[in-house]
Amino acid sequence: MREFLLESPLTPEFITFLKSFGTVKEYPHMKRPYFSFEQEHFISIKGFVGDSSVEVRYRKDFFDLTSDYFHLLLFYAKQGESGIHKMREITDSIREKMKVRLPR
Amino acid sequence: MRNDPGDPPHIYLNNAATTWPKPPEVLDEVARCLEAPFFEHGRSTAGSAINYPSETREALARFFHTENPDHFIFTQNATDSLNLLIHGFVKKQKAPFHAITTDLEHNSILRPLNTLAGEGRLSLTTVASEDGYVTLREIKKAVRPETRLIVMTHGSNVLGTLQDIRTVADYCAGNDIFLIADGAQTAGQVPVNLSAFSGGAFVFTGHKALFGIPGIGGFFLEDPEAIAAVRQGGTGTDSRSLAQPEEMPQRFEAGTHNYPGIASLLAGIRFIEREGQDKITTRIRDLAALFIREIAHDPNIILYTPAPDLPVVSFNIRNLDNDEAGYILTKAYNIICRTGLHCAPLVHDRIDGGRGCIRVSFSYFNTPEECRAAGEAVRGVAEGANR
Repeated sequence: MREFLLESPLTPEFITFLKSFGTVKEYPHMKRPYFSFEQEHFISIKGFVGDSSVEVRYRKDFFDLTSDYFHLLLFYAKQGESGIHKMREITDSIREKMKVRLPR
Repeated sequence: MRNDPGDPPHIYLNNAATTWPKPPEVLDEVARCLEAPFFEHGRSTAGSAINYPSETREALARFFHTENPDHFIFTQNATDSLNLLIHGFVKKQKAPFHAITTDLEHNSILRPLNTLAGEGRLSLTTVASEDGYVTLREIKKAVRPETRLIVMTHGSNVLGTLQDIRTVADYCAGNDIFLIADGAQTAGQVPVNLSAFSGGAFVFTGHKALFGIPGIGGFFLEDPEAIAAVRQGGTGTDSRSLAQPEEMPQRFEAGTHNYPGIASLLAGIRFIEREGQDKITTRIRDLAALFIREIAHDPNIILYTPAPDLPVVSFNIRNLDNDEAGYILTKAYNIICRTGLHCAPLVHDRIDGGRGCIRVSFSYFNTPEECRAAGEAVRGVAEGANR
């Protein structure tokens, strides 16, 4: 588990972007609007929209493949539709590498 | 709001894991211990310093109402004690035997027992609890002619239920069964009278309600012949002998003691004695009851023990994973609690389908204001999850 302090707060647009890559749960009526993101075998994220602090968990056995994944999500989220396309390519590439290690 | 490392938590409700804060005299005693040369008969000639192991054994005997201070053995914690006792008991047996435990237990009991069962050293029956309690009637149903060992908790770390360990001890004493009682959640929390505990062993840890620092625990063993020593080494006594000394406490203690931990335990016990165990027990029960009143009528909160005997309150929030509830309570409300299985996996199969729960646990140093604020926060999270 790692806690990151980001340069800018998490935006609703970033949460929308995440929905293309895994399961997002949103609780907008909490004291602070909470969200979580889960992408099996990749990462899980917990945080609050509008907050610069975020908790990211990695699966230990795939950490070498996914250690940069959160930062890639942040980067490509700023690039709109083309960012989704590029991030899908990266995700598929990582998933192919994971398949070699997953039990059949 | 962020919790920077080192920042004091606003409301600390994870006292069933480790109490915080510690009484100031505990921290002072640890500092005093580290400032002076270590002294213990046989290990040092620094006769002017305090003999912490000896003084602490005396304090433990006084506190737990027994006349055998040398039958208190220092360990790292309750898990260490349970491992020494369980493996030591098994080592003493000539043939595989039958053991009994319960579904309330911590992994510090379940894992050693299941490891030994896997090695064919014992067969194991796990007695089911009912509403958080294990009755002697259910234990008797599980007993077989070859039953030699019962290992069970004195107080559940998930449900806060206090077990009638004295009745079980009396039964064991009359039926050639050795009882190991896990008092990790009860020592310092409720009065414990070992003079009324027939035979067996009682396990405690220092870092919870006895207000010591992490890394110190122990057990009381009435009959040293029941357990084989699984550790050997230097004791500062009878050093010409290549065999471990037979006398207590050296029989089960080898190597240099955790002097700062023992000093903290001594100061923690003195603090409880000064404040009064009954006063402490009453206060923390009242705090838990106050918190329960704050959340009990919220339809979105599932409470697992409406009236716990110990200041441990476990619950879930509808439509929200316990892990996520814990995150929100910590980050949005600065409330430190514990989520998940609490190292007691079997009880969760009975209460929450094995998914775990949120646990808040109180200490003498919590305040009614903190309980009300925590209750309000939990209700706020429950509302946010169900709007």
